[in-house]
Amino acid sequence: MNDTAVSVPQAARAVAGPPPRRARRPVTLLTLSWLVAAVLALPLVFLLIEARGAGAADVARLIFRPLTASLLWNTIRLTVVVTLACAVIGTAAAWCVERTDLPGRRAWAVLVVVPLAIPDFVVGFGWNSLWTWAHGFFGAVIVMTLAVYPLVYLPVAASLRSADPGQEEVARSLGSARVRTFARITLGQAKGAIAGGCLLVALAVLAEYGAFEIVGYQTFTTEIFSEFNGYSFAASCALSLVLVLLSLLVLAGEGMLRSRGRVSRSGPMVQRISPPQRLGRARWPVLGLFAALVLLALGVPVAAAAYWMASGLPPALSGGANVSLLDAAGHTAAYGGSAAALATVMAIPVAMLAIRHGSRMRHFLERSTYLVLGMPGVVIAFALSYFTERYAAGFGYGSSLLLIVCYAIMFFPLALVGVKASLARAPVSLDDVARSLGRGRLEVLCRVTLRLAGPGLVAAFCLVFLSAVTELTATLLLIPTGTQTLATQFWSYESNLAYSQAAPFALVMIVVAAVPSYVLGRFFTRSAHAQG
Amino acid sequence: MRHVAVTGLHKAFGSHRVLTGVDLEVPTGSLTAILGPSGSGKTTLLRLLAGFERADAGTITIGDVVVEGPAVYVAPERRRIGYVPQEGSLFPHLTVGANVGFGLGAKERRRGKVDSMLEAVGLGGFGRRYPHQLSGGQQQRVALARALAIEPTVVLLDEPFASLDAHLRASVRADVQEIFRRAGTTAVLVTHDQDEALSVADRVAALRDGKIVQYAAPEELYSRPADAKLAGFVGDANLLDGVLAGGEVKTLLGSLPVDPAAAAALEASQGDEVTVLIRPEQIDLGPIDLVGEDGITARVISYDYYGHDAVVHLRPEHHADGRAIIARVVGTPAPAGSRVTLRTRGPVFAWPKGSLAEG
Repeated sequence: MNDTAVSVPQAARAVAGPPPRRARRPVTLLTLSWLVAAVLALPLVFLLIEARGAGAADVARLIFRPLTASLLWNTIRLTVVVTLACAVIGTAAAWCVERTDLPGRRAWAVLVVVPLAIPDFVVGFGWNSLWTWAHGFFGAVIVMTLAVYPLVYLPVAASLRSADPGQEEVARSLGSARVRTFARITLGQAKGAIAGGCLLVALAVLAEYGAFEIVGYQTFTTEIFSEFNGYSFAASCALSLVLVLLSLLVLAGEGMLRSRGRVSRSGPMVQRISPPQRLGRARWPVLGLFAALVLLALGVPVAAAAYWMASGLPPALSGGANVSLLDAAGHTAAYGGSAAALATVMAIPVAMLAIRHGSRMRHFLERSTYLVLGMPGVVIAFALSYFTERYAAGFGYGSSLLLIVCYAIMFFPLALVGVKASLARAPVSLDDVARSLGRGRLEVLCRVTLRLAGPGLVAAFCLVFLSAVTELTATLLLIPTGTQTLATQFWSYESNLAYSQAAPFALVMIVVAAVPSYVLGRFFTRSAHAQG
Repeated sequence: MRHVAVTGLHKAFGSHRVLTGVDLEVPTGSLTAILGPSGSGKTTLLRLLAGFERADAGTITIGDVVVEGPAVYVAPERRRIGYVPQEGSLFPHLTVGANVGFGLGAKERRRGKVDSMLEAVGLGGFGRRYPHQLSGGQQQRVALARALAIEPTVVLLDEPFASLDAHLRASVRADVQEIFRRAGTTAVLVTHDQDEALSVADRVAALRDGKIVQYAAPEELYSRPADAKLAGFVGDANLLDGVLAGGEVKTLLGSLPVDPAAAAALEASQGDEVTVLIRPEQIDLGPIDLVGEDGITARVISYDYYGHDAVVHLRPEHHADGRAIIARVVGTPAPAGSRVTLRTRGPVFAWPKGSLAEG
């Protein structure tokens, strides 16, 4: 070979050259991901088929009536108020815990998040059973705010932890006062996280059923539920369409906010501890506010459950017709566990495709997850159950399989978040090395990728399990006849005002949900530090 | 004897053409560096050699086996290549010993292959530790032992020293060179750092815009680069205009003898304008009182002091519009503002003006 320049190869000259060889495409992954996307799309497809079956004119008549307007007003004003309240509480709490010298920051960091583990309807039960004034719009605002503000707190705290505190220092050095620095730099850094948290809050409010039923506040979800129970399928179908549209609007709004401002970080990704802001004289009032928040969000529901339990007979002695706690807990665990396993397995191919392959596919698949986020549980459950009964010759109707699939679809986005985070810990370069050392693709998946992703997969499992355990709406609609879970049994006691019998179920749910939340908290804190 | 041979390799990602016809032959037992700026396609070339990506056209032969070609594709696990990625990429969940033994069969592991490999990279007794307990340089050496353990036909290294601290880099580099030399390993190394490529490799392939513009020994690449652009990439360079006259070229630094190889190539350009390469270390500075008849004088603008040497920025006098030139001097340079004489040691290299080498 010539030492200096290399001659231009023939192939470059011949315009067409040999036909291009096909690049290696992840055929298996693609196929599996498409399958998953198809399953996720089922509820929406079913809903549309059902709407067509009900007749366009009928559906239109059911949508354009005064009831819809009043539901719209009820739902929107509640969503707006709760979202704003959560944004303020969540952001303020996150800033105090992450950036100030608040005494006992570590303890507060845990206590402030725990309310997320308490099902919304248990919070509603706690307030409404103790004080009758916790009712209607006012009751709904209190209950929902206290139940879901951690959805803002968590992402904001994480983003403040990983954001560069140096920016605040630079702003101060450039002569910007403390308040202005907070508004322009700190809030700017957390903007994306706040918007993301608000999105979750708004979707949670749109999808909530149990808490609103308890405080007697009518929204789209409660109305869909009662129409469905009253066998007015066309009406539930029409209202579902409006609700899905509303959720998609919220999603689109958040997407627009997010695409406008991207927060980037310059310089190397080094975790630097900067001295916390001094609260000074504000210290004691702030401490008091934190105590009040935890008391209201955590203390009230737990105390209410304990109070009602103490004032009644122990559940095991209160009659033979009742389902025992153990039985219900067993069903809850079985359904929740199966759904968590299914959702995690479904998320693996999608996450691998999203993390390791082209950006166009990633885009598409992220969109398909959004579709599910925009489908409240009541709509998914309604679509699945009505479709299987009416159009699929009863296949799967009323079986536990349908409930498990419903959970898996509902909580797929959660599983995907966890699985993506875990696969990010197993970089592709390790796969490359393993293959160059003579190991086949399947062996590499088992010996390297899944081994490294293991803890994260457990986290994803927990996330779905936790959500399934505390799920009420879809469970009520899809549970096989004669079976009870913790949530449904609690619900039937609560509806009959048998508070002392309902209370133990609430407490068990809180405990069962608290364990995975603890595991999760640890996992995500650690991974935030690892990426930090 | 050729060991790795690449011919007419093409690769595009979508509409972005990364490699546009690469030819390369790596002789047995040699270390070849692929040198290119970021985005030149050097990592893609390495990944094609390893089999992590498929080429659009062209063939790759490793040893006597065609591993990539029309209707041929050998999976990475069947190529017997040792791959050392940028960060070392040790398996974090396995001990150092298990990392090194990852590609070995149970029999080889039992026969103490792992320990002997660790010995060879100077890490005997580290087998039970975990990767996070090692320093960056040690991790890099474990990655090397892991790649060498499978007795590969060729070792591929992707910017292997980039993640190390500057003071570690030189010593790890020397260790690696020594390990390769003793084992007679054939290796291909990818780097964007010209100092690294020139100091470590037997031969350097300069990659630009998806083509290899020059493939030569380090000395050749430095003193006779294929074109002016490449000259600037492989080191500091003064690129001056000149006119060719016989075996000499007239520049603002005087008439200088032209390198015989360049002179032959420039035969047709007699009397034409050419671009002349003068490396900073070819220029000697002298005190102003030594100015002779043809002495060129210049004023010191500023200098960058590095301790072992210094780079002086000068503006030649009698050439008011002349660009600044740089010279490399040993010791403390004359202060800014002072006048000095310049003497250039030939021969110098030159190309027809505006010419660009094609790969």
